Amino acid sequence: MDDYMIGVLSNIGIVSFVALSAYLLLLTGEISFGQQAFFAIGAYAAGIATALWGWPLALALAWGAVSGGGAAVLVGIPTLRLRGLYFSIATLAFAEMVRILFALFRYQVEIDGELVGPNGAEGFRSIRYIFDRNIDAVQFLLLIYSLLVAVLLGFFFLERSRTGVVFRMIGEDETLAGLQGISVARHKVLAAGIAGALAGVGGGLYAHLTTYVEPRIFDVMLGVHSLAYGLIGGLGTALGPLLGVLIDVGLLESIRPLAGYRMIIFGGIVALLLIVRPRGLLDERLVHRIGRLFVRSPPAKTDGRGKPA
Amino acid sequence: MTAINLAYALAAAVAACLPAIAFAQVRAKADVACRPTPTTLQYDCVITLTNSRTNEPLSDVTLTVGADMPSMPMMHNVRPVKAAPREEPGSYQARLMLEMHGDWMLQLNLSGPLRDRVVTIIRFEPGRATLAAEPEVPSSRKH
Repeated sequence: MDDYMIGVLSNIGIVSFVALSAYLLLLTGEISFGQQAFFAIGAYAAGIATALWGWPLALALAWGAVSGGGAAVLVGIPTLRLRGLYFSIATLAFAEMVRILFALFRYQVEIDGELVGPNGAEGFRSIRYIFDRNIDAVQFLLLIYSLLVAVLLGFFFLERSRTGVVFRMIGEDETLAGLQGISVARHKVLAAGIAGALAGVGGGLYAHLTTYVEPRIFDVMLGVHSLAYGLIGGLGTALGPLLGVLIDVGLLESIRPLAGYRMIIFGGIVALLLIVRPRGLLDERLVHRIGRLFVRSPPAKTDGRGKPA
Repeated sequence: MTAINLAYALAAAVAACLPAIAFAQVRAKADVACRPTPTTLQYDCVITLTNSRTNEPLSDVTLTVGADMPSMPMMHNVRPVKAAPREEPGSYQARLMLEMHGDWMLQLNLSGPLRDRVVTIIRFEPGRATLAAEPEVPSSRKH
């Protein structure tokens, strides 16, 4: 595998975290334009942990997840009481606020005669953990995908659990879910927290992959894309957002002559799919249909004489 | 193949659990100057690599140059190009073919005797390329 392929696959893996983060909120019926904020918080938190505090990467990534998740819960408590467009605008405003705060955030420590740490708008350089520890690109790629597989397994079990069913119920009709005795606010905050943690892990991985982060990276563009991946790929399964990422980063990227026009093509695909398949390519109906191919329906009960019981 | 992948994953997991401050390696510093070629969106870049502590030129490293846009991270994967060494010690040359004008994060990947990555941001415009200006910081002085 050459450097280019490793780079593309690493990017696909990392973007998948923030796409899954937006997907989880979409399941609860919330459209967030602000998941890039938690990606940013995770990136800075994990970067600071290894570059300035000398933490191991595993702990730094966990710290990134906790920071992203914690911030999402804090934002979720007041904002998730808002609905529809108001919530979306609130998340966008929060993300912009975080981006500007990072443009003002300075926290530098002298290490080996060199100032290391976030330096406002100039960014945060020298997150050199993988170089200091001699972790090569393939090893880091495997780390990304190991974590991604763990997250997908988590989604697999979540969507089959009561909590997962409740998330979808809230997404369908939160008033009705509330009438069933479900604590809508608590479940929404839980979903926001998990989504923030996922984005935080993605951010931590990104910071260590590129060794450099700056506030501009966490622009609304990243948030809009992560949201669109779920809408393109489908909301029927956690594999949907991954399909969205593959279509954008993988397929469009592989068609080099179209690369310069990718935003136009991408926007066109999103608009078309929202009309033709509003729940994305892998929507609930298709996932159910595919599932029935693999799971045989139980035989009908009979009364012993061949007649239905 | 699976065994090799597992070994890699295990090595990565073990390395991920080790403290970060164990090694203090030589770090690279880079100066990048790019100029456009007659072909649209193609730029020739001269990269000077030095040891960040001693300022000695870094020769005999393998240098590849990748590019990504900070405003659209991970969305543009410009195929990394290998830089050719020039006569001056620590000086390398690479030809980049970009997808659009704007600010690009050049990722200078060093391998060989020194393994490092240096990131520098260059603004590529029609007819010229300059070090990207610092992004605007909101300030009360501007009100």
